[in-house]
Amino acid sequence: MKKKILIIIFSLFLSSIIYHLESQVSLAQQVSLSISPPLLELFIKPGKEIMVAYQLKNSGDPTFLNLKILPFEARDNLGNIRIKSEFEGPVRFSLDNADLKLEQTFFLKTNDSQQILLRIRIPENITDGDYYYSLLAETIPPTSSEGIGSTRAKATIGSNILVTISNSGNVDIKPKIATFSTMNGIAFGKNIKIFDSSDKIPVILTVVNKGRNMIKPEGQISLKGNFGETTKYDIISKNILAESERLLEATPSADLSSGIYHPSSLVLSGFFIGKYSLSTQMKFGDNSPTIFASASFFAFPFKIAGGILLATIIIVFIIKRRKDE
Amino acid sequence: MDNKTKIKSLIFLIALCLSSIIYNLSSGVSYAVPMDSARFKIESANVEIAGGNKSSSSYKLADTVGQLAAGQYSSTGYVVKAGFQYLHSIVPFSFSIANIMIDLGTLVPNIPSEASTTLSVSFGGAGQYQVTAIEEGPLKTQSGNVISDTVCDGNDCDETNVAVWNLPSIYGFGYKMSGEDIPAAFVTCGSLCYRRFPDRTALPVEAPAVVMSSQDVTVDLTSKPKDIIHASTITFKTNVSSIQPAGSYETVVNFVATPSF
Repeated sequence: MKKKILIIIFSLFLSSIIYHLESQVSLAQQVSLSISPPLLELFIKPGKEIMVAYQLKNSGDPTFLNLKILPFEARDNLGNIRIKSEFEGPVRFSLDNADLKLEQTFFLKTNDSQQILLRIRIPENITDGDYYYSLLAETIPPTSSEGIGSTRAKATIGSNILVTISNSGNVDIKPKIATFSTMNGIAFGKNIKIFDSSDKIPVILTVVNKGRNMIKPEGQISLKGNFGETTKYDIISKNILAESERLLEATPSADLSSGIYHPSSLVLSGFFIGKYSLSTQMKFGDNSPTIFASASFFAFPFKIAGGILLATIIIVFIIKRRKDE
Repeated sequence: MDNKTKIKSLIFLIALCLSSIIYNLSSGVSYAVPMDSARFKIESANVEIAGGNKSSSSYKLADTVGQLAAGQYSSTGYVVKAGFQYLHSIVPFSFSIANIMIDLGTLVPNIPSEASTTLSVSFGGAGQYQVTAIEEGPLKTQSGNVISDTVCDGNDCDETNVAVWNLPSIYGFGYKMSGEDIPAAFVTCGSLCYRRFPDRTALPVEAPAVVMSSQDVTVDLTSKPKDIIHASTITFKTNVSSIQPAGSYETVVNFVATPSF
């Protein structure tokens, strides 16, 4: 009996050690980082400096990290960015942390957070304009294993910093609606688009910012029907970077994740009959000009009419055949 | 062994077992590596960080930078806002890689070797983000032997184009993706389709490839942001010929996750 107990206890002990060793192997693989805030907008005068506190949390395994700042530009009109490989621009960044510096490796334990005290300094006599940067926290890849083919992953997480430098406090607002139209449908001439009544109708709205500073639109897209009925959709107030273009989105919206309608600003759904007018208007601050655009489309129940026609033909054919018999 | 000694050894074993279990349980919580330093914390930053639902003047500030901020701007010389203004709250941006040590195993000529990992992005209700990838050089040994990036079966895939790679006679290194927010080409082409990573050491310089992205702001502006996780699986594949020199081949792939602006 005692022998049995001894064996059980010993096997329990061994399995516990094995479990521990296994868990050590698998746990040392995961990276999970989060950063807050994900976006910082700074409107600042030359010669001024501020300090901003970021929170970097490691929810994965213990890891070594490195912080750096790199400039970015708009990659496309969808809000994606392209991070440049070298630092440029007049904005100066440093850390106020006692034991942390940019481009210097530090260690972060599991479930531990690091407060990053980022100081942003604008030198004197800097020309007004916008400068865009990403604060990047990158992991140091693990050491490789001998004798196998392996790929090691390096995880980098970023938070964007949009800096507008203005001595006077004024911003350069030069927006222009580049595209405002419906997608798909049957086109007749340049401006007439025809849809089936039950079609989902995607709408595209892109705005070009020709100014030196980023702008943030606020406005609506309106849909007006035959009998004056109007539906309004609020435009989501996203930043449009200086000298770039961006597709704007309106809400509430339909199925934007669908490949057919993507990317679009709005998807109209319902049962449409007749002529519909679409209009948009937006402004970029109290004293900024309001810009407008309009478009229209026609919708007819082609599918229902086709079904009725087909059913009529079949019924007429059957009646005629019975009469002949 | 007399009874007393037996009891003593039994007690010793039980104590050993218990201490081992306790150690395991505690190690599950955290791997305490004594690398703390004398960090300091500032509980509140000395700049105004806009956060939380606002119907006050601080929210209006978000609408018109130039006008309503004018008073504050002239006195302090700056206006700073954090987070996405249309969300009315600051949602942390999170990025995870399930396994950062992707083991392709022992490479056998003409037998493809594959390994996968999962990429996850969490961004509350605002789903607009991108994840890019670039390799820090091709798969190579320390002595400089290289496994080139794949060109796929029809010599028709590259850093952007996706194509079928199924023939055992086509060698190289590449990847495919499945899951949410992946490039549309992987969805339309199918599960046998791969492409090559952009190479940071290549000339001319190759730009990182977008491997996950979402343009949709999925939040309902009238409600609080939801916790949404977008995940995809990336599968690495390599296939070598019989004349490939032996050695430990390795590379580093850098995944960069950034929110939009």
